[in-house]
Amino acid sequence: MALNRGSSPTSSIFKKQKQSPSPPTAASYLSALSQADARARHAQRGTPTSTPALSLSSSLTSSTEDTVLAEEDADSSDGLAIPVGKPPNSEQSYTTVHTEFGHCYNEEYRHVSQHPVGAPVPRHVEQDPPYYILFSTYISYLILIVLGHMRDFFGKRFHPYSYRHLMPHDGYAPLNSDFDSFYTRRLKQRMDECFLQPVTGVAGRTIMLLDRYTPDYNHSQIILDTRTRALNISSYNYLGFAQARGGCADAVEEGMKRYGVTSCGSRLEGGSSDLHALAESVVAKFVGMEAAVISSMGFATNSTFIPALVSKGCLVISDELNHASIRFGVRNSGAQVRMFKHNDMKALESLLREVISQGQPKTHRPWKKILLIVEGMYSMEGTMVDLPSVLALKKKYKFYLFVDEAHSIGATGPHGRGVCDYFGIDPRKVDVLMGTFTKSFGASGGYIAGTRTLIDSLRVRGYSGAYAEAVAPPVLTQIIASIASIMSIDTSVGPAASVNKLGISTTPSSPPMQVTEYSHPGPISQRALPHWLTLPPPLSSGAEGLMRLRRLSFNSYYLHRGLDKLGFITYGHPSSPIVPLLIFNPAKMIMFHRMMKDRKTPIVVVVVAYPATPLVTSRVRFCVSASHTKEDIDSILRACDEIGDILDLKHGLGKGERWSVDEVCDRAVELVRIPDNEH
Amino acid sequence: MASASTTLDTVVLSIAHSLSAVERTFYKLPGSAIIERYVRSSHQNDPGRTFLELIIFFLVVRTLLQSRTRADRNNGKNFIEFSDKEIDELVEDWVPEPLAKPLDDVEAAELAAVPIIAGANGPHPTLVNTGKPTINLASLNFTGLANNEHVKQRALEAMRKYGVGSCGPTGFYGNFDVHLQCEKDIAEFLDTESAILYWQGFITASSVIPAFCKRGDIIVADRAVTLNIQKGMEISRSTIRWYDHNDLHSLEEVLQSVEKERRKRKGPLTRRFIITEGIFERDGTMTDLPKLIELKQKYKYRLILDESYSFGAVGRTGRGLTELYNVKASKVDILIGSCAIGLCASGGFCAGSRTVVEHQRINSPAYVFSASMPPLLAVSASEGINVLRDTPSLLTRLQDNVRAARAILDQVDSISIPSHRASPIIHIHLRNLSPSDMLHPSAAASMSNSKPSNPSSPVPRDAPVFDIEREERLLQEVVEEAMAQGVMITKAKRVRSLEITEARPSIRLAMSSALSKADTEKAVHVLAKILKRKFK
Repeated sequence: MALNRGSSPTSSIFKKQKQSPSPPTAASYLSALSQADARARHAQRGTPTSTPALSLSSSLTSSTEDTVLAEEDADSSDGLAIPVGKPPNSEQSYTTVHTEFGHCYNEEYRHVSQHPVGAPVPRHVEQDPPYYILFSTYISYLILIVLGHMRDFFGKRFHPYSYRHLMPHDGYAPLNSDFDSFYTRRLKQRMDECFLQPVTGVAGRTIMLLDRYTPDYNHSQIILDTRTRALNISSYNYLGFAQARGGCADAVEEGMKRYGVTSCGSRLEGGSSDLHALAESVVAKFVGMEAAVISSMGFATNSTFIPALVSKGCLVISDELNHASIRFGVRNSGAQVRMFKHNDMKALESLLREVISQGQPKTHRPWKKILLIVEGMYSMEGTMVDLPSVLALKKKYKFYLFVDEAHSIGATGPHGRGVCDYFGIDPRKVDVLMGTFTKSFGASGGYIAGTRTLIDSLRVRGYSGAYAEAVAPPVLTQIIASIASIMSIDTSVGPAASVNKLGISTTPSSPPMQVTEYSHPGPISQRALPHWLTLPPPLSSGAEGLMRLRRLSFNSYYLHRGLDKLGFITYGHPSSPIVPLLIFNPAKMIMFHRMMKDRKTPIVVVVVAYPATPLVTSRVRFCVSASHTKEDIDSILRACDEIGDILDLKHGLGKGERWSVDEVCDRAVELVRIPDNEH
Repeated sequence: MASASTTLDTVVLSIAHSLSAVERTFYKLPGSAIIERYVRSSHQNDPGRTFLELIIFFLVVRTLLQSRTRADRNNGKNFIEFSDKEIDELVEDWVPEPLAKPLDDVEAAELAAVPIIAGANGPHPTLVNTGKPTINLASLNFTGLANNEHVKQRALEAMRKYGVGSCGPTGFYGNFDVHLQCEKDIAEFLDTESAILYWQGFITASSVIPAFCKRGDIIVADRAVTLNIQKGMEISRSTIRWYDHNDLHSLEEVLQSVEKERRKRKGPLTRRFIITEGIFERDGTMTDLPKLIELKQKYKYRLILDESYSFGAVGRTGRGLTELYNVKASKVDILIGSCAIGLCASGGFCAGSRTVVEHQRINSPAYVFSASMPPLLAVSASEGINVLRDTPSLLTRLQDNVRAARAILDQVDSISIPSHRASPIIHIHLRNLSPSDMLHPSAAASMSNSKPSNPSSPVPRDAPVFDIEREERLLQEVVEEAMAQGVMITKAKRVRSLEITEARPSIRLAMSSALSKADTEKAVHVLAKILKRKFK
């Protein structure tokens, strides 16, 4: 397919993006190929006879693409392209590209994410910074606001043209008034270099940034021709399935050949294919529910299905930190909403007692139903819901429970099945399990799982089914392949003889997939998968899936506790791949961001501030991935340690209790293995 | 004793000292003289007056400190005190409704009859339901891009470069070069300043509208806008005025009445929007764009035009309504389209001026809070545009097929087709079944002359009455019969309980240039025959 390049005038976008021109002749292709192989062998540290590290894919094309990838990295001295650390033994060989999914051979660097059954769930305590930090933070915002208003005042008088779009003109009210946009213009725009960074390539362990600069104080950004490869601790790639090479990508290619790129329409109006039904049954088995429905966008999963669950006369109780999509859906539903303090079970119980006893406002009629919406893992805090306590309350107060597992599915639990798995709870005790495929499975879209009755009702009454486009086939294949590799495939029954003819029918007898027994959480039968789907042995046996889960858990614990030991204030549960590091002062955010990016090994980070967080607690949010090696986390810790000293960010542990960064790196395994309640 | 008195003395002394120090610093403060004067004049040697002042002061403080959310206030008024035991009993007694009502027989039967395609979708897919190949008049594949090998190749190459997922929102490293390229391609294709991609076609309008329309703004909308626009308007909390479906005369009346209202109230200038669709999802009618633009300019409204069903479907190269009517796309302030429908990729877009687009990058919830579209789908959207631009014959073929289908359907007496002659989606209503159809034409004419509808209500004055249940059932029978004969069609599916006004049940045909004219005619003939036989 690469040979097709240039066959049409439309190929220009690809040419522009690839800096290295493609070799003109077949001979140079081959020489490039052999060079790449040589590099790969070098990367594998003297295992010349083993499988080339780059790819198992046999086609000439993909190898050529590899070559291009490797050439781009060859001249970089950032140390991102070549694995360091313990060399592999004879049984280990990686089939992934190191820049997408790091090679980490040391079996010590694994950990199982699991809550000890019966143990109390430790309450998350938020550490406060010293007063001078709080004070200087408020002062900083005050200065920014005063300066901003002064600039507006004089700007409107001396440069009225640049304020034209904010003022009424020509009989039109401004699209966005100067007051409404003040925060955006005067505070956010100052640090625009932290946002909307254009990138290219795979958002895996590393990411390729398109360099840019601004000639006019962030009014416009000019994208340059140069690129920078950076260590990516920002993308939602928990299990490292963001890959353009490897078993899943090969499966997606096969799926695209069979099913095309698009589904053409909504699920109920001619956009359903057998692949949709298969993917839904796989997801249902994975999360341990009777049935599941999938939707083409994570945000839309909440916003279009919640109105089908609750309506006027119902009450939604929502955690105060719930995601915007949940609020969007609830507002569309017409139900009443009450919020409770984040993860505070006492506040929740007293709220429940109040709302059930008072009934609907004014009329005091009993609520039709009460739906509690919580998230498994909170995206800005990294905290985990106290599911055992919520279920205890559920038993007593009879509300329905909706758990949004956008960030926890795949990322937590010994089998990757989310918070239920982490706490060792039967998922069927929860009424509605929602999740997305963006974060852990390298795909996109979302699902809702529950009883068959519930899901069938959502198919018909949720408006995703009738109006919104169905999920695209390549995304479906990625979902099926990545989930199957975590579940591991049970081949004992043999592949299905013919194409599975599945309907999304409701009659319990018709779908043949019910024939295959499934015990949760167990392997998935080959019959329940598309007959053409073949995954390479490390994926189909579940070994790689398990390795991914354990590496993710190790990395999460290591970064979390490492930062703690270095003296930083972090939030969240140590097993959560989201690790927020508190920065407080607004000016330090952009400094931190730039200092991380300008290092010899550039690291890209996400900084978040008001309004996504409370005003004072601006933070850096690291998103750990299974694709990171222990050495990657080391380098992040070292970077944080250096920058933390310069920017005065260490306000956590007292000086005496802190560890040096070398000690943290050396005693990583020990640090990770401390039980949760003793840390 | 003596020592005690000396300590007391020192205490008194120090108090007096500090008091005088406080007094001195108080007088040093700027503005202290004013406060002093105020206290003196209010006190006037009457402690009662000072007491009253103090009470007022505390009341003000209390009011300021009070929480002012509405829920709290309501609770304060309606709150009933219960003892713990009573609450326990109430909790015990409360029986919630089931979370989901099971499907009734009709719904279940319809769900079971939903066509499911084995393998790739296209003009002649094989159905799982029947196991036979069919002619596809249901899936949205107007220009046949879904089966374009070139687009597929490009998407495959993109997959090998970018993987599948984008793994993050655009704000945080999910802003891929191919997304930027696709936005640029759309903007160039439509000739607007800028464009922004959304990751689902359906959510686009629901998110664009609340990004611009806020509480207090005025929206004038068509009574038959599709569900996502309704939901977007609901979220926006703006004041909504409605005009009769696709009736620009009614629109002008509403615009005048809004203007009158504003003059009477003398309020500040607020944002005003007209929201409508290019080709309506509900019935395939088409907006008269030049007239609409004229009106919006005359009354100084901004136009939000949803071209989801017209982009990639009408116009010489599929640029949509603006190309069909030869209107500059930049005259439409906010133009919404769908890459999923028009370009057979995924997602939607909003095109407009740079200000309009950049505003959404921070203020549009579905853009900000969602991971971006898989890069390979952005590539296939870009390629789709290139194909459309280079091969206008696709659109000509589509129009030929539309004309052929309409010619056959015109001969069926028992149906009425509200859709525009050029619309590639054709809605079929059943005639002579509902009370509104029974009216004599003259009666209908007199009805249209009657007083205009109330603009604050989405329901028109003379709402047509039809028997939804019966029509749905009959249409479903037609659909299933056609499927059995190898023609895949579908009813226009909707969630009736969530729609703000009732849409008349219809069969929705989607034409495609991937089908030959002969195949289109053959399929429509099958449908026409069924319709003729069933409804004489």
